[in-house]
Amino acid sequence: MSTTIYYISNILIIICLASSLLQTRYLFNINKFNNLSISFLATIQLFSILIAFGLLIYLFLISDFSFELVYLNSHSEKPLIYKLSGVWGNHEGSMLLWILILVLFNFFFSLFSFKRKIFQNLTVSVQSLMIFGFTLFILFLSNPFKLSENNYADGIGLNPILQDPLLAIHPPVLYLGYVGFSLVFSFAIAGLICKEIDKTWASIIKPWVFIAWSFLTAGIALGSFWAYYELGWGGYWFWDPVENASLMPWLAATALIHCVVVLEKKNTMQSWTIVLAIMTFSLSLIGTFLVRSGILNSVHTFASDPGRGLFILIFLFIVLFGSFFLFAIQSEKINKPDLSSLVSRSTGIQINNWLLMTILSVVFIGTMYPLATDLFLNQSLTVGPQYYAITITPLIIIFIFFMIFSPRLGWKESKLINLIMSMRFILISVLSLSFIISLYFDLFNLSEITIIFLSLILVFTSLKSGFRPSGKNTIIKSNLGQNIAHAGFGIFMIAVVSNAVYSKEKIYDAKVGDSLELSGYIFNFKKIEQVEGANFNSLKAYIDLEKEEKILDEFTPEIRFYSDPPTITSETSIIHKFFSDIYVVMNVPQNQQSVSVRLHIKPFMNILWFGVIMIILGGLITAFLKRTRIDEV
Amino acid sequence: MTAGVTKTVKKRLTKFLLSLIIVSIAVLLIVYNLRDNIVYFYSPSDLIEENLNRGQIIRLGGLVETDSVFNESESIFHFKVSDGNEHINVKYEGILPNLFAEDKGVVVEGIYMNDGRFIANKVLAKHDENYMPPEVIQTLKDSGNWQGQ
Repeated sequence: MSTTIYYISNILIIICLASSLLQTRYLFNINKFNNLSISFLATIQLFSILIAFGLLIYLFLISDFSFELVYLNSHSEKPLIYKLSGVWGNHEGSMLLWILILVLFNFFFSLFSFKRKIFQNLTVSVQSLMIFGFTLFILFLSNPFKLSENNYADGIGLNPILQDPLLAIHPPVLYLGYVGFSLVFSFAIAGLICKEIDKTWASIIKPWVFIAWSFLTAGIALGSFWAYYELGWGGYWFWDPVENASLMPWLAATALIHCVVVLEKKNTMQSWTIVLAIMTFSLSLIGTFLVRSGILNSVHTFASDPGRGLFILIFLFIVLFGSFFLFAIQSEKINKPDLSSLVSRSTGIQINNWLLMTILSVVFIGTMYPLATDLFLNQSLTVGPQYYAITITPLIIIFIFFMIFSPRLGWKESKLINLIMSMRFILISVLSLSFIISLYFDLFNLSEITIIFLSLILVFTSLKSGFRPSGKNTIIKSNLGQNIAHAGFGIFMIAVVSNAVYSKEKIYDAKVGDSLELSGYIFNFKKIEQVEGANFNSLKAYIDLEKEEKILDEFTPEIRFYSDPPTITSETSIIHKFFSDIYVVMNVPQNQQSVSVRLHIKPFMNILWFGVIMIILGGLITAFLKRTRIDEV
Repeated sequence: MTAGVTKTVKKRLTKFLLSLIIVSIAVLLIVYNLRDNIVYFYSPSDLIEENLNRGQIIRLGGLVETDSVFNESESIFHFKVSDGNEHINVKYEGILPNLFAEDKGVVVEGIYMNDGRFIANKVLAKHDENYMPPEVIQTLKDSGNWQGQ
C-alpha cells in the first residue's frame, strides 16, 4: 500500500513537472504545442498537485510511519486537527503547499478570458516556469513522499507549541498572500515583455493584487494573534526577525496596491509599479528563505539543510537578476509622462510610497544588520525592539498625515486651501477632542497624542466619505473598500498607541489561597490540579477575577507537559473585555513550591484586532467590488 | 512649449528634493537609533578577557552550571553561566522560563557590573527542550566544550 502511494505521488509530481514545462512554451516561442490550451495544462497541474497533497494528508491521517515525513512530524495519538496541520508544519509539506497555491493561482488565472490573450499566455508561462522550478526542487531536494528505511512503531510528533487550531490555518493563509504575489510578478514580467504597462494592465491585475494583499495581511495577523495568546509573553508583535520577514513584503505590497490604483486611473508610475511588483515577490522569497533556511532560529525553522537554502537563494537570484535585467532594457519604453500636477492625489500616494519604502528599509536594516555582523565580523548582536518603535514613529506620523489628505485631493490639480476649508469641522472637533484626551490622560507624550489625533481624523474622514449617501439613493461607492481599510488603519493605530501606553504587568509568586492585585482587580488563586489532556498532562490553575467584591470571571491558565516530543508549554488564559484584555499566564520554575503568575492588562486589544479585520475587509471589497464607476469628486 | 518644459523640470526637481529630504532624514534616524539599540552578545570568556561594556545592556550566553542555581528569595535567583572555561555569576529577579534548567543553554540580558556580577533583567525563553541558542553553540565551540553534532 505504502509503496503504491509512493509511486503514485511521485508520478503525480512528475506529471506536474512535465505540464508546467510545456506551459512555458510562449516564453520561448515554441509554436509546436499551441493546440494545447493553457487552461488544459493548468488543470493538469492543479489536479496532479491537488491529488498529491490529498495523498499526503491521507498519509498523515492514517499515521503511515513508513513515510519519513510522517514519522518525523506526526504521532498516532495526536488529535485529528494537528495531524492535519502537521502536513504543512514541516519543510517538505509546506513546500508542497507552496506549489499547490502556485498552481491554484495559475489555474484560476488561466480560466479567465481576456481581450489581450498574449498577456495571459505570457503570465501563465512565467508562472509555470516558477512551478517547474519549485516542483524540481521538491522532487530532488525536499521530497515529501520519501519512504523511510526503518520500521517505526510511532512518530516523533509535532512541536506542541505549534499544536494550535490557529496555526493550522496561519501557514496556508500566509502562503496565499506570498504566492499570490507570484502571479502579480508573472503578470509584471508579461507586461514588460509586451512593453504594455497601462490602464488595461492595471485593471486586469488589480483584483489579484488586492486578494493577495488581503491574504498576506490576514496571514500576518493570524501569526500575531497566535503569538499573543500562545507564547504568553503578553505582546502581539516582538520585532522578531521572523515577523519582520513577513512585514517586509507587506510594506512593499501596500505600496504596490496604491501604485496599481494610480496606474489604472492616471496611466502613470509604470516603473514604480513594476519595481514594486518584483520587490514584493522577491521579499516574499527572502522571507521564506530567511524563515526556512535555519539562519534565523525559531519555531518556524524546520530544517537546516544547506541545499534547500541554496536553492531558494539561487531562485531568488534568478528572479531578481532576470527581472531587473528585463526591466532595465524595457523601462524606457513603458514609462508615460506624469501629467498630473504637483498638488494632486498621485503626489500624495507617491510620498506615502516613499515613506513605506523608508519604513521597509528601517525593518530591513534592523533585520539584516545582525546577520551581516555575525557573518562578516563574527560579532553576535541583537537589535532591540526600541529601535523599530523610535525610528518608525515619526515616519508613521507623516504617513497618517498624507493618508488623511491625499484621498481628499482630486486626481487633477487641487487647491489645498479648499480642502482644509472643507474639513474644518472635523479638524476643529478632533483637535479639541485630543486636547481633552491629552489633559485627561497625562500619560501620552507628544508623538503619541499626535498619532491619536491624526488617526482620529483619518477614521472620521474615511468613514464620512465612505458612507456618505450620494443623491437620494445610497449607492455603494467605488472607494468603499479604500475608506474601510483606511478607517481600519486609523483604529488600529489608536489601539496600538493606547495599548503601548496603558499596558500593565505584574509578576507574583503565588500559592493556593493567595490574593493578587493589579490595577483594581483582585485575582484569587483558588486551586491547582492535574488534568489529563488529549496528548498531554497539565497543571491547571483556577483563579477568580474579582472587582469591588464581585466575582466577574474565572481564569484557567495551564502548564502542559507533552511527551511526544517532550516539551513544556504555558497556556495563557485571557478574558476579553470590551476595552481591555486581562491576561494570565503561569510558570512553574524547577525545585520550587510556589507558582509564578504573570498578570497583564492589555487595553484596546479587541479594538486592535477589529481595526485589522477592517483593513482586510477593505482589501477584499476593493478586490471584488465590480467597478460600476460612480466616480468620486 | 518652454513653459511646459520648465513646469515639468520644476515638478521633477521638487519631487527629487522631497525624496532627498526623506531619504536623508531616514538615514539619520536609522543610524542614530540603531547605535542606541544594539545589544551585543558575549560569552563568559569574552567578558572576562575583554573586560568591557560595564554598565551597558548586553547579552550573555552559555550553559547554566550544574549545582549553581540557588534562590535568594522566591523570585530572586542566582546562578552561574559558563562556557566550560570561565563562568559569570548572574543574579535575576523575575520568572524563570519553564525550560530553564541546570546544564542547559541559556541567554540572559542585563548589565555586567563592576564587581564582576551580571544583573539580568531578562532570561530569554526557548521554544523546546532540545533547542540551543545558536550563540551558545558558537560559544561552546569557541571554548572547545561543544559536544553536540
